[in-house]
Amino acid sequence: MKRFTDLTQILAFLLFLALGLVLLIVLPRRTFSQQENRVLAQPPRFRLSDLASGAFTQGVEDCITDQFPLRDSWISLKSRTERALGKTENNNVFFCREDTLITRFSEPEETAAASAVRAVNTLAEGTKARVFLALIPSSAAVWQDRLPAHANTADQEALIRRIYGEAECPAADVLSALTEHRDEEIYYRTDHHWTTLGAYYGYAAAARAMGLTPAPKESFQPVTVTEKFYGTVYSSSGVRWVKPDSISRWVDPEGVTVYRDDGEEPSPVYDEEKLAVKDKYAYFFGGNTPRMVIETGQAGGKLLVLRDSYSDCELPFFFSHYSEIHVLDLRYFRKSVREYAEDNAIDDILINYSLSTFLSDPSVFLLGT
Amino acid sequence: MLFSSLLFLFVYLPVTLAVYFLVPARWRNLWLFIVNLVFYGWGEPVYILLMVFSITLNYASGLVIARRREKSRTVLTLCIVLNLALLFFFKYYDFLAENLRLIPFLAFLTPLGLRLPIGISFYTFQAMSYPIDVYRGRVEPQRNYIRFGTFVALFPQLIAGPIVRYRDIAAELSDRRITRASFASGVRRFIQGLGKKVLLANAIGALWDVYKAMDPSALSVADAWLGAVAFTFQIYFDFSGYSDMAIGLGRMLGFEFPENFRYPYLADSITDFWRRWHITLSSWFRDYVYIPLGGNRKGLGRQLLNLLIVWCLTGIWHGASWNYLLWGLYYALLLMLEKAFLLRRLDRGPRWIAHLYALILVVIGWVIFSLEDLGRCAGYLAALFGGGEGLVSSVFLYYLRSFAPTLVILALCATPLPRRIFDRLPEKVRGCASPILMLGCLVLVTAYLVDGSYNPFLYFRF
Repeated sequence: MKRFTDLTQILAFLLFLALGLVLLIVLPRRTFSQQENRVLAQPPRFRLSDLASGAFTQGVEDCITDQFPLRDSWISLKSRTERALGKTENNNVFFCREDTLITRFSEPEETAAASAVRAVNTLAEGTKARVFLALIPSSAAVWQDRLPAHANTADQEALIRRIYGEAECPAADVLSALTEHRDEEIYYRTDHHWTTLGAYYGYAAAARAMGLTPAPKESFQPVTVTEKFYGTVYSSSGVRWVKPDSISRWVDPEGVTVYRDDGEEPSPVYDEEKLAVKDKYAYFFGGNTPRMVIETGQAGGKLLVLRDSYSDCELPFFFSHYSEIHVLDLRYFRKSVREYAEDNAIDDILINYSLSTFLSDPSVFLLGT
Repeated sequence: MLFSSLLFLFVYLPVTLAVYFLVPARWRNLWLFIVNLVFYGWGEPVYILLMVFSITLNYASGLVIARRREKSRTVLTLCIVLNLALLFFFKYYDFLAENLRLIPFLAFLTPLGLRLPIGISFYTFQAMSYPIDVYRGRVEPQRNYIRFGTFVALFPQLIAGPIVRYRDIAAELSDRRITRASFASGVRRFIQGLGKKVLLANAIGALWDVYKAMDPSALSVADAWLGAVAFTFQIYFDFSGYSDMAIGLGRMLGFEFPENFRYPYLADSITDFWRRWHITLSSWFRDYVYIPLGGNRKGLGRQLLNLLIVWCLTGIWHGASWNYLLWGLYYALLLMLEKAFLLRRLDRGPRWIAHLYALILVVIGWVIFSLEDLGRCAGYLAALFGGGEGLVSSVFLYYLRSFAPTLVILALCATPLPRRIFDRLPEKVRGCASPILMLGCLVLVTAYLVDGSYNPFLYFRF
């Protein structure tokens, strides 16, 4: 019996390792992971300088991890094991009630808020346009009642209150507007963004702060464009047991022309092609871009929106208020905001960021240039 | 390269084993020598030269010393000085420079910022034991360079111990027998260690990382203890996991390494703890420092001094930073107190008090060990005793709830209980269960490594 046990153990061990090795070599290499929404590492090219710096050996290890046979199943096995062990989070994502995944909001750097506000104030002082600030909280603040008990995540309300207290421009209370409707599907359950419904409430709060009358909710006809959306939080969590989200659009794009970057050809408001890929949220305007100009075909002034991706599904609500909407993403657009506003005769500037980008992205400082 | 990596498990290990068992026995040392250098140089290929230098230095010293035995004291001294000089240069120079440059006329000293060669403290001690033992006539010199090189760079124990002395495996270097039973026991031991490291240590390490990053003055008492207990578990399962993996790999290759841990958290005194924790390090210091200094044979005063020296060295061996020195002094003090009177008192009291006493002091010791910034360290120690904020917090409740099952598993695995229960099972059940358990463990380890967001190597300061 002992001899037999020893033999089975040895064989099981060696076969397991050998099978891993063989499959690693034989299976075709993947370039992109749909599940994780990222490009996978490939075998590094050998260079003597890379060997000396350690870049080559690191490249080999990254490639083995990314190309490992059945990668997606292993990731799923890990998150299931974590749940079985009573964990309520994996890779910084909480497993929440109502099939929801929420990323932990980490405490920002001590000085982040102060220096970001300084940039906002510099812009507000330096430009003739009216400047407004709207900070969008993450679902960890609004959907607190879905989080696991005592889940520790930074106090976004206090952060926003502090920033608004120091900002020298009118600010929109997006958090209260969202919290008021927290029983509705205002965020995606599997993505870090807000839904178009959430964006409507955000728009209404911003519009009020800007002295506009927001269009009533009943004036829109929501159209569901996909029901198979698995977002970024789904990817990073490793969780594979939740149901997908659906994406809807509310505003009719009729008569609106969009120019991305400095392109001559207009690009669509709603990019249908993006519904076929993993990152379906890019359906709105086709995703990140340094600069975008929207001609709404309506009467009105000119609005400049300083954006991160939360703005994308909110922008269409502003169509009826302005004739032209300029959209800059300071992560990619590297010229002076003040000069841009002057050159384009901008009337209103809306700084429209998620709190997370506002507190952590270095490009926020460019607001003040 | 780390054992707990996909590269090691699915590429390095199968290839190493396959060639090892395919080539004739006389080629095996050469093959081991080559793969040892690949293993060692993987992260920092330049340091292979350092390794080769270290091998050559001790190999040549051994030969010279053996020829002239009694008259070779200078050669031995020179060899030890060179060994320690390398260790000092790579490990302690920056630390010393940073502190000495505060003195005005020494301000020209600049830290070099060199990466510490992985495992240098382990292999320097391993290699150094050889010329000393040759000098003492404890071992025959090794004339075969490859064999000696295989010993110094032997990959299973190269980077995180146990500290294997030349005489432990001298016979096995020239002639080793691998049976089905010994290979199977090596496999079991390796997988057990792998599970300890990847499934247990990493799991609880994530909790310690949360607490380590927090401001200690904002910690409640319960939080501070939970964090400290988390690190206590992490370092044990991580370190003893590495030793298990080393011992297991050694057996697969035909070597029998000394044991390094014996359920240290079951100790009933600090003296007992150090007989159970990192045994090969304490016995190294005992045989090559404490006893040559006179040990306990030259009166109580001298014994206390010797203890102090050994524990300063033990502390600083773990890293070039003040907290490690403090950690060593902390144990020196406790051991002296125990020698003076405490041990006798503890023996008279109930057992559970002795266990609790040892465990609490060990947990406090780990706090000193794990926080290199002395300000934070002091803050954390204060937080353990109410210097932070309040007794309990909602953060504590969240983490206690999330980690409760993990903590229970860890506590059980730190005792011999699971082993005893398993051994009580009928032979048949054990025979079927063990391959299933093993394979299950391997599968889970693979899953955690593939989604490897967190897999630290704790000994890069050693």
